[in-house]
Amino acid sequence: MCDLFCRFFRALCCLVPLVVGGLSPIAKGQETPSDFFEARIRPILVDHCEICHSLSTQKSSGGLVLDSADGWKTGGDSGPAIVPGNPKESLLIRAVRRDQGHSPMPPADSGLSLTESQIRDLEAWVLQGAFDPRKSAERIGGMRAEEVRSWWSFQPLGSHEPPEVVHDRWVWNPIDRFVVAGLEAQGLEPVSTASKREWIRRVTLDLTGLVPTPEQIQEYLADESPQADARLVDRLLESYEHAERYGRHWLDVARYSDTAGDGADYPVREAYRYRDWVIRSIHRNKPWDQFVREQIAGDLFAKDLAGSSDAADAPVRLETYADLVTATGFLAVGKRYGYAPNADFQHLDFADAIDSIGRSFLGLSIGCARCHDHKYDPITVQDYYALYGIMQSTLWAFPGGEEQKRPANFPALVPPEQVAQLERGRTDRLRSIDEGIERARAERMELDPSYHAGGIDLDLEAQEVGKPPTKAWLSAGPNVVSSESQSPYSHVFGQGTRGVRVGAGTPFEGVRYVLDRKLTLTDRPLYFAIDFRVPESTQGSCRLYLGRGVIESTALECSISKDAFAIKNAGEWKVVSALEVGKWYHLQLKLDPSDMTWSGGLYGDEFEASISKTPVSATWDRQADTFICDGFGHIGDGVLARDLDNLGIHTEPFGAFGSPALERPSRSPASQERFASLDKQVKELQAQRAAIAAEVLYGVAYGVSEAKPTDARIQLRGEPSKTSDEVPRRFLSVLGGQVVPRDHAESGRRELAYWLSDPKNPLAARVFVNRVWHWHFGQGLVPTTSDFGVRGQAPSHPELLDYLAQRFIESGWDVRQLHRWIVLSRTYHLTSHVDAQEDTDRVSKGRQLDPSNRWLWRSVKRPMDAETLRDSILSVSGLLDRGVPKEHPFPSVDTWAFTIHNPFHAVYDSAHRSVYLMQQRNRKHPYLGLFDGADPNLSVDQRQATTTPTQTLYLMNSPLVHQASESLSKRCIRTTLDVTARLQLVYEITLGRPASQEEQAQCLEFLEAYAQRESSDGELKAWGALCRVLMTSNSFLYID
Amino acid sequence: MKRNEFKSLNRREWIRASGRGVGQIALASMLAQSDGLRGIGAGSSDPLSARAGHHGASADRIIFIYSTGGVSHVDTWDYKPKLYQDHGKKVTASRWLNKPGAFDRYLIKPRWTFSQYGQSGTWVSDLFPKLATRVDDLCVFNAMHCESDGHDKGTLAAHTGSAQFARPSHGAWVSYGLGTVNENLPSFVVLAPHAPYAGAQTWGSDFLPGCHQGTHVIPGDEPLEHLKPRASSPAQQSLELELLGKFNTKSVESSPLDPMLEARMRSFQTAFGMQRQAPEAFDLSTESESTLKMYGLEAGQTKGFGWQCLVARRLAERGVRFIELIDTGSNSGENWDSHGNMQDHERLAKMIDQPICGLLSDLKARGMLERTLVVWTTEFGRTPFHQTADHPGREHHNLVFSSWMAGGGVRGGVVHGKSDEYGIEVDEGGVHTHDLHATMLHCVGLDHERLTYRHAGRDYRLTDVSGRVVREVLG
Repeated sequence: MCDLFCRFFRALCCLVPLVVGGLSPIAKGQETPSDFFEARIRPILVDHCEICHSLSTQKSSGGLVLDSADGWKTGGDSGPAIVPGNPKESLLIRAVRRDQGHSPMPPADSGLSLTESQIRDLEAWVLQGAFDPRKSAERIGGMRAEEVRSWWSFQPLGSHEPPEVVHDRWVWNPIDRFVVAGLEAQGLEPVSTASKREWIRRVTLDLTGLVPTPEQIQEYLADESPQADARLVDRLLESYEHAERYGRHWLDVARYSDTAGDGADYPVREAYRYRDWVIRSIHRNKPWDQFVREQIAGDLFAKDLAGSSDAADAPVRLETYADLVTATGFLAVGKRYGYAPNADFQHLDFADAIDSIGRSFLGLSIGCARCHDHKYDPITVQDYYALYGIMQSTLWAFPGGEEQKRPANFPALVPPEQVAQLERGRTDRLRSIDEGIERARAERMELDPSYHAGGIDLDLEAQEVGKPPTKAWLSAGPNVVSSESQSPYSHVFGQGTRGVRVGAGTPFEGVRYVLDRKLTLTDRPLYFAIDFRVPESTQGSCRLYLGRGVIESTALECSISKDAFAIKNAGEWKVVSALEVGKWYHLQLKLDPSDMTWSGGLYGDEFEASISKTPVSATWDRQADTFICDGFGHIGDGVLARDLDNLGIHTEPFGAFGSPALERPSRSPASQERFASLDKQVKELQAQRAAIAAEVLYGVAYGVSEAKPTDARIQLRGEPSKTSDEVPRRFLSVLGGQVVPRDHAESGRRELAYWLSDPKNPLAARVFVNRVWHWHFGQGLVPTTSDFGVRGQAPSHPELLDYLAQRFIESGWDVRQLHRWIVLSRTYHLTSHVDAQEDTDRVSKGRQLDPSNRWLWRSVKRPMDAETLRDSILSVSGLLDRGVPKEHPFPSVDTWAFTIHNPFHAVYDSAHRSVYLMQQRNRKHPYLGLFDGADPNLSVDQRQATTTPTQTLYLMNSPLVHQASESLSKRCIRTTLDVTARLQLVYEITLGRPASQEEQAQCLEFLEAYAQRESSDGELKAWGALCRVLMTSNSFLYID
Repeated sequence: MKRNEFKSLNRREWIRASGRGVGQIALASMLAQSDGLRGIGAGSSDPLSARAGHHGASADRIIFIYSTGGVSHVDTWDYKPKLYQDHGKKVTASRWLNKPGAFDRYLIKPRWTFSQYGQSGTWVSDLFPKLATRVDDLCVFNAMHCESDGHDKGTLAAHTGSAQFARPSHGAWVSYGLGTVNENLPSFVVLAPHAPYAGAQTWGSDFLPGCHQGTHVIPGDEPLEHLKPRASSPAQQSLELELLGKFNTKSVESSPLDPMLEARMRSFQTAFGMQRQAPEAFDLSTESESTLKMYGLEAGQTKGFGWQCLVARRLAERGVRFIELIDTGSNSGENWDSHGNMQDHERLAKMIDQPICGLLSDLKARGMLERTLVVWTTEFGRTPFHQTADHPGREHHNLVFSSWMAGGGVRGGVVHGKSDEYGIEVDEGGVHTHDLHATMLHCVGLDHERLTYRHAGRDYRLTDVSGRVVREVLG
C-alpha cells in the first residue's frame, strides 16, 4: 500500500513540467513521432497508467497492460485500447475524456488526473498513428522467458549418480546416499533406526491403512533373514488393502465424490465404478503412465480395442473395454455446476476439470489462467483455452440436476454395436406393446359413451352436481359442478345438464384437464373448443391455456374478463373482442401446422367475432395434452368467477356453431364387460412397458465420450458471453505446446493423455514420484505436492527427486518398485522415538537446524487420517467387513426430484473400509468431515490434520468407539481367562507390542477399580473401558 | 462485557488451575514454537489459541444473523414513497431472472406501511414493529449489492466471499484470525434448524484448518453431538481419562518434537470440559422469566428463533468468537423466497422480530452490545417490479438490497447508502458483500487484506481481491 502511495506521489510531482505543452503539438512540425512519443507520451503512460496497467508491476486492471505496444493492441477485457488514427474510436481516449459509458481514467480515487493538454497530446498521438517503439518483454504468462528457461521444474530430468558420502556404511540403498549427503552438508546426524515392532507398525499402516495383527507381527519378528523386510513389503504391496489405501490417496487428488455437487447435489450411482477402477488398477500395479492415459482417454483406447477382432480373447476384451471407459471417470467426477445437460454452466465444469488435470498430473495451477494469464506461472490464457477446446470437444456424462432430474450421456460399458443391438431389441419390444396399448385404447374409446371431442367427459356430464369436478378433471379452489353452468350450445356435445362454475380463487387455482395421450401437431391440424360465460360483473380475469403439461410448453393462451376477450401474441396480451356479462360464448380454434398459427372464432347469440391467424407460442414443442383455466389472465386485478362447459381438444374438426345437436351413443351391458377387460389389458401392458423401459441392458460409466471436435474461443475474464480469438487445441506452451493435428477426427484427449505421461514431460514423473514420497513421509521432497510452479516450494533434494523420477521411468513406471525403493531405504527406517535425554547432541542439533525435518534426520509421528483411524478401530475390534461393497443404496432414479431447495442428502451406515463410504460433495460425511477427510470440491494433495475437542468428543462418546471397544473386550475375554495373558493380547492387538511392567500394574489397578464401581457385568465393562482407553490413546492414534 | 470477565475461562488460567503439570510445561513450549505456514496464526501450534488481531478491535465477537431466501428490501428497511405512488407503472428493468437486458416491468407497491422510529427517525416497515424500537442501535445499509441472484451462489457469496468455489466461511476466517478465549466451546457456532442453501459449505473451513469450521447446532434437546458421556457415570469416565492421561503423558514426554500429541492429550481435557459446559451453555433453565419473555420464549422451550437468539447471548458471554443464527432452511416454501406471495414475509418477520429485538435489548442491558457486532443480512433483495401488474410475489433482486449492523463499534441510528427512487439500483454508498465482510473483520481487529492463508499456491482472503471497510459508519 505504502509503495503505491509513493508512486502516486512521484507521479504527481512529475505532472508539473508537463503542463507546459502547446495546444497543437504536432503543428510544431520539427518533432519526429519518436521524439513526440518520448517527450510527451511515454511520461504520461509511465506516471499515470502503468501503476495499474503494467506487467512489470504484476498489474493488469481490466486485463489491460500499457507498458508495451502489444499491450494496447491486444487490449483488455473490452478489446484493443487504441485504434491508431482514430481517437474517437479509441477506448483509451474515451476513458481519459471521461465519456459516458466508459470507466473514467485515471480513476477518481487514484489521486491522479490528466491535464487538458496531456489529453490533447494523447489524442494527437493516436491521430498520428500511435507510434510506439516499446517492445513487450518476452513473457509466458507470469514469467519472463529466461526465468522459464531456468525454472527448476521445467528442466529436463537430470541424470544424477548417487553421491559418495562419508558415512558410507550407514547407507542401505541409493536413496540414503542422497539423504546422507544432505545431512552431512547441513551438519546433521540421523537418529537411530526403528525397532522391528516400530517399523512393521509404521509400514503396515502406511501401505495398507490398517494396524498389523499380532500374527503378522509374530511372523515378521520370527523372520530373521536379511530378506525379512523385503518379504513383508512385498506381501503388503500385493494385498488388496494396499490398493484400497493408495487408491484413497489418489481419490483425494482426483476429487472423488459420490454426488455431483450442483446445488441439488445429485447422487451419481456409477461413480463407485471409477473408485473401484482406481483400486483395481493399483492392485494390478498398472504402470503409472498407462494409469494416467486411461483416465484422460480410456474411451478412445476402448474404441481401438473394440476394433480388433480376435475372437479368442473376447471376454477379456469386454472387461477391459468396460474398465477403459470407466477410467474416464477422473474427468467426470469433478464438481458439476449445471442444471441440465446443456452448455449453460459447462465453462465451470471445464474450469474444474482443467484445474484438476493441472494439479493432479503436472503440479500446475492451470485454472488460474481462466480469466487472465497466470499471475506467476508461465501459463497463458491461450494455454487455458487450448485445453478448454479439448474439454469442449468431449461429451460429458450429466449426473442429473435441478432442471433435468435424470442422468444423461453416460457412456456405455459395452461397444456401440452391442448397445445398438440391445437397444434395437428393446425398441422392438416396446413398439409391439405400444401397438397393443393403442389398439385397446382405440377400442375402448369407441365403446365409451362419455368419450367425445377428444377425451372422456369433456362436457362434465359424468360429474356430480354440487361438488368440484374430479377424475378426468382436476380442480383447485372454490369450483363446483352445477346445472346453472350448463352451456346452451349443443352443436359439439348435444344438450347436457351441467357445467362447472370455476370460483374466484387465487390465480393458481382453477380447473385442469389432461388428455390420456399427447396430441402432436404434425401434418394434421388440431382443434380446440370451449363454451364459457362470466356470470356476474366482477373484477379481474382468467386464463385459458392449451399446451403440454402444466405450463411446460405453451401452445396458446386466451383470457376472459367481464368485458373483454384477449389472446396472447408473442408474449403480450391483446384484447380481440368485447364480451358481455351473463352471456354464453362458444370459442372454436384451429391450430394449423402449415404455418404454425392458430385462428378461429368466438360465437354467441347474435354474436360473432373472428380471431385472425396468430402464431403459436414460440417455445411450443408441438405437443398438447393439457387444458388449464386459472387466474393468470390479461388483467391482474383479481380473478373472476366463470362458467365453463363443453371442452373439446381433437384432431377432427367440430361442428359449426349453430349446426344441429349431436346424438350421443349409449352404453350396452355387453360393452361394459369389454370395457373393463380393456382397462385391465391397458394397465397390464403399461406395467410391462415400464418394466422393459427400465431394464438395464448394459452398464454405464460416469465418464466421458467424444463430441464434435472444435476449437474454443478465449473467454474474456472467464465469461463465456465475452469471447475473443479462437485457440487451436494444444498442450501448454511451456511444456512443448504440441498441437492436436488439424482436421483430427477426435477431441484431442488421446494426444493430451500422451503429453501428460510423456517421459520427456519434465513434470509427469517428478510430480508423481514426489507425491509418493509425500504419502510415505508426510512431507514431499517438494512440500507443495500439487504446485511445482513459482509459488510452490523448491525441492529439498533435487538430485534425489530426479534420480527417482528417472529410475521410475526406466522401470516402466512401476509404482510398486517405487514404493519398495522408498520404504526399504534406511531413511524410512529411522525411529520416531526421539529420546531427547539420551540423544541430546543429535536431537538438539536437529531441533535447532531443521525443526521441520526437511533433511530427514528422524521420523515424524503422524496422526492417523480419518480413514485409517476408523478402519483400524473396526479392524482391531473385529467389526471390519473387508469385502468390496456393492453400489450405494441411493433412492431409485425414478423418484429423483432434488433441487437446491431440497437437495439430496444421505448418510449410509457401513462396516466396510472407509474408502467405500458414500461421500457427498456439498455436505461432508459427518465422520470424515470431523476428522479432516478430503474435501471433494477440489483436488486435495494433502490432508489438514487438526486436533479438535469435537473430534475428541467423538473418541470419548461415539457409538462406533464404544461398540468397537466392547467387541474387542468380548473377543479378548473369550480367548483367555488369564488376566495377564489377556492384557498382553489387548496390547498386541491395539498397540502391536506387549505391555510394560508399569503399564500392566496400571491397567490391573484400573480394571479392579472400574469393575468394583459397576453394579453388573463389572469385568466386561472394565475391559471395555480399557480397550477404549488404548484405542484412543496417543500410541494408537499416532503412527510412529 | 469487559474482557477480564473471561479471565476465569482463559485457557492458560484454566490449565494452571487444573494443575496438570505436563500440560502446563508442554503448552509453554508449544506456544514458543512456530509454524511458518500459518500467517497470522504463527507463534502457536495451537490454531485456536486466543490472539490479538492486526489492530485494536471495537468488537470481541460477531453474532451474524442470516435470513434465508432473499428478504425484500423495499418491504422492510428501504422506504420508497415513490414506489407506492407509481404502483402499476411500467419501468425498464436491466435484469430479469439473472439475465441482463431491457425488460418492461410493472412496479409493485409494498403491502406494508413505513414509519419513522427513534431519535434517528430511521424508516422501518410494519413488518418489524419490535425491532423498530431499536433503530437507534442499528446502522442500516440500504445500498447492499452482490453479483448472484441464485440462492446457493448468493448464500455462498454472503458467507465465504465466493459465489462459485468452495471457500472458508467468514466465521472460520475470524476463528483463524483470532482463535478463541474459551476452548471448552467451539470458536464458531452456527445455530440453525436447517442448513441454508449450499448446505454446510456456508460454515465450512475449506482449506483452513478444520478446527475453524463452524459447529452446527440444531436447536432441540441434543444440540451438540457426542456430548453425552457413554460411560456409566462421570466417576467411571474420570477413571478412564485418568488412565489415558497416564499413558498419554508418557507418550508426550517421549515425543517432545511432535506437539500434536500434546494437543490431543489436552483436547481430552477440553472435551471433558465441554461435556459439562456446553450443555450448560445451551440450558436456559437459569434464565429469568423476564429474560425469556424478552426473546418471546416459553419456559422449557428448546427451539425457535428466540431460543437461538438467547443461546447466542449465552455463547457470547462464554467467549465464542463467531455465532451465526440462521432462521430458515433451503425449503423455499418455508423461507423468505416469496415468489408466489409476499404476504409470507409477515410470518417470517414475526418469527424473528421479537427475538432479535430481545437479543439487542439484552446485550445492551448487560453492557455487551458495545463489544459485540451484530450483523443481519440475506442473500439478496426482491424485485420492486414484476412481469405482470399486481403480481402478488417478487423475484430475486441482487442489484440493491438491505442489511444492518449493530454494536461492536458501529454507529447506531445511521442509514448508510441509498437506492434509487424505486429501490432498483444503487444510487449512492454501495456496499458489496466483500465490503460487508471487510467491515466485519475490521471491527474485530482484522485487516481483510492481511488476513490471508496460503493455499494451492496463492494467498487467499475472505474478500478475494476487493472489499472496502465502510469506515463512515464506524464510531
